[in-house]
Amino acid sequence: MKTIVVVFGAAVAALLTLAMLFTAGWVAPPILSTQMGFRGVAMHELTTPAEKRLIAAANALPDAIDKASPEGDRATSVYQNVKVLNDLSVEQFNRVMLGLAAWVAPADQSCNYCHGENMASDDLYTKRVARRMLQMTRDINKNWQAHVGATGVTCYTCHRGMPAPKFVWFKGAPPKSGGFAATNDGMGHPTKVNAYSGLPADPFTDTILGSKPIRGQATQALPVGFGTPIQDTERTYSLMMTLSTSLGVNCTYCHNSRDFGNWADSTPQRVTAWHGLQMVRNLNNTYLQPLTGEFPANRLGPLGDAPKIYCATCHQGANKPLLGVSLAKDWPELGGVASP
Amino acid sequence: MPVFENIFTQVQVRPVALELSVGHDDGERVNVGAFSQWLGYLGNAQLGPIYLGYYGVISCITGFFAIEIIGLNMAASVHWSPIQFVRQLPWLALEPPKPEYGLSIMPPLAEGGWWLMAGFFLTTSIIMWWFRIYTRSRALGLGTHTAWAFASAIWLYLVLGFIRPILMGHWSEAVPFGIFPHLDWTAAFSIRYGNLFYNPFHMLSIAFLYGSALLFAMHGATILAVGRYGGEREVEQILYRGTAAERAALFWRWTMGFNATMESVHRWAWWFAVLTTLTGGIGILLTGTVVDNWYLWGVKHHIAAAYPHMYPPVVDPAAAGAVK
Amino acid sequence: MLSFEKKYRVRGGTLIGGDLFDFWVGPFFVGFFGVVGTICTLLGVAMIVYGAAIGPTWNIWQINIAPPDIKYGLALAPLKEGGIWQIVTVCAVGAFSCWALREVEICRKLGIGFHVPFAFSFAILAYVTLVVIRPLLLGAWGFGFPYGILSHLDWVSNTGYQYLHFHYNPAHMLAITFFFTNALALAMHGSLVLAAANPTKGETVRATEYEDSFFRDVIGYSIGTLGIHRLGMWLAISAVFFSAVCIVISGPFWTHGWPEWWNWWLNLPIWR
Repeated sequence: MKTIVVVFGAAVAALLTLAMLFTAGWVAPPILSTQMGFRGVAMHELTTPAEKRLIAAANALPDAIDKASPEGDRATSVYQNVKVLNDLSVEQFNRVMLGLAAWVAPADQSCNYCHGENMASDDLYTKRVARRMLQMTRDINKNWQAHVGATGVTCYTCHRGMPAPKFVWFKGAPPKSGGFAATNDGMGHPTKVNAYSGLPADPFTDTILGSKPIRGQATQALPVGFGTPIQDTERTYSLMMTLSTSLGVNCTYCHNSRDFGNWADSTPQRVTAWHGLQMVRNLNNTYLQPLTGEFPANRLGPLGDAPKIYCATCHQGANKPLLGVSLAKDWPELGGVASP
Repeated sequence: MPVFENIFTQVQVRPVALELSVGHDDGERVNVGAFSQWLGYLGNAQLGPIYLGYYGVISCITGFFAIEIIGLNMAASVHWSPIQFVRQLPWLALEPPKPEYGLSIMPPLAEGGWWLMAGFFLTTSIIMWWFRIYTRSRALGLGTHTAWAFASAIWLYLVLGFIRPILMGHWSEAVPFGIFPHLDWTAAFSIRYGNLFYNPFHMLSIAFLYGSALLFAMHGATILAVGRYGGEREVEQILYRGTAAERAALFWRWTMGFNATMESVHRWAWWFAVLTTLTGGIGILLTGTVVDNWYLWGVKHHIAAAYPHMYPPVVDPAAAGAVK
Repeated sequence: MLSFEKKYRVRGGTLIGGDLFDFWVGPFFVGFFGVVGTICTLLGVAMIVYGAAIGPTWNIWQINIAPPDIKYGLALAPLKEGGIWQIVTVCAVGAFSCWALREVEICRKLGIGFHVPFAFSFAILAYVTLVVIRPLLLGAWGFGFPYGILSHLDWVSNTGYQYLHFHYNPAHMLAITFFFTNALALAMHGSLVLAAANPTKGETVRATEYEDSFFRDVIGYSIGTLGIHRLGMWLAISAVFFSAVCIVISGPFWTHGWPEWWNWWLNLPIWR
């Protein structure tokens, strides 16, 4: 009896050790590194050649679509029920449609994904949502250059050929426990969003839908009142973890952790990231959340809310979406800024 | 030629019967036990007897209550699935009440009430255990050094879970139960209060923690090294200094210029270990109450180094009025 | 000299140099390694002082001798661009090794076991792991930690956050457990011996049976006078060993956040 227990225990231990050693995803030198701060401060980005190849493959560019002339009749004079793209020529309008078919619609449905038999009809929700998406894309390229620069975005940046972007978020599902059992503030379960820690699983609702402050550290050495609760700090920490994994970087890409809040010690990337958070909050409130009524049930979250965006929606694991290549420069139709 | 390095016992000796404790006719003792060959390679092979006692029994019962409250809430959070319970166990938590409940002693059970209850039972259990240690020392005629060392650890525990939250006015400041969650708390605590590395009592506590490792490596190694002269018989060597104590002392005198005695090394040991939690507790207590941002405190007191800037000046976009 | 010391001051036990360096300066034994070690120390300290002199401050908390930029790779950097750090590191490794070997000579002279230099070697291993082995694996001396009281803490903080949440590093968890358990065991051992040697007022000094009885009463087991020293040494050495492991795997063998590492457990086939 004792022998059986010992042998069983040894087998379990051996299997777990093997799993830990061979399935955890260890890497080996050479390690590629980038120094982000003064020498010895240890602000570094680390990656491997294999990972770099993976990221490059994941950020392949779509086929280019021939340019369209802005000359000629306006799209509104030829097509019915044009509400958003009224400033475009027919050629340009058609070009945008080709883009949508290539970058968003499923390959087997193409135009039919948004248009029924009557191209002008607004019956399908996809058409109504696509209108807002077009407005959002132009909004980003025109008003959020503090974050997207002259690089800009097109539909492809988020959708990457799929009707729904790979990375979206929904409001946190209600806790599994019921009755008197502790709810734990949504903490204690590993998910992709909290980078598999025990931190809050939904750091988004309060910060990039709501406007609760993300900052929490005191700005003076001595206390003046209670200040930020630990729980808010954990929420910010979770948000920062997901920001990091979304961009494939670590905390020291932006911060000198000896004083997270200090801007003078931070990198310029932090300013860009700040604008990114403002942008995402604005877009979620202006475009995404109001579309809740448009989506069918299978596109909604467990609480019935619309899909919303965060850093990973565009970045998808790269510090710059599509590794910084500008698609928008060839798409003035979408508000893109031509390269100088 | 193999040499005995005093790491594993080569020949194990067993008494004819279980070696009973001093005053073995004390009715509270459970005079059962066993011998373990594997334990015998390292130290004594004998397990047991054990002393029950009122304090011990109450401690175990209240401790059990605490563990049950924590464990059952964790199980509820995975919807009672035993598989998910084992799978997610390191992440599972029992969190303290949310900040809005302040110091209320009866928040809703689901919103921190269970945490308070578990904390209460655990604290009772620990304090009962302290009394167990204290009374056993007295009963055996020993000094009470162990009890006072334990008191230092209890100080840190109480600061973290009781004293500091009360001073801050919120149970929410306290540490959650859970393996990874209590680590999340630790990291969040340091982030919130401006980097605990700049807390001088944190520095002291770490110095004593590492110093304790240094001391036990030194002392353990020294005694093993003079094992051939009976060095491990420390109490006898304290009273009647033999060649073991002399060689041990001289090793250190010749190495670093000064040495302890067979007794005083244990005072070094006691103080380093005790000061680890003592200063640590002070450091936690001062955080948030007296100092809100330790890095800025460090800047104020001229201990923070200035690094050359690598980039053009980076400015807070919110302060620059760039809010959209 | 201590009252009993004279009879122990015999010749012999040296590893190198024979009788040439076999003498004491005050209470310190010198030996070949005492001489070489002192040279390493003087040179290293002189370089640190020089580094402070060309730096912005003499404030003891702010002095910072920083390693080179990553761009210098494994080459020797200019003196003022991290070269000082490199020289100090060489001197430190030399001085620490000399200290350990000097301890070996003292053990041989006193006729005691080599447990102390054996244990100290683990501390040296941890230091060498931090400033030599890990930088070698990562391809640049710049990955070593700076020599400065607060600056080395900034290095620790930032190195930790490179992995998002360093507490999730499994070897770090192991090392911390060993550190805390060591502190507990040290408190227990120190207090037990003192309690036996300083009994309740009026009582006689307590013999070993009382020490065993106390721990058997309280936790049902007493490891014994020899066992506690084996345990303590093992706990302390393990703490240092796993600390070295936890940092050498961070970077060379894992570049993501440490919480993510635990996915091997979350994704085991039995419950994926």
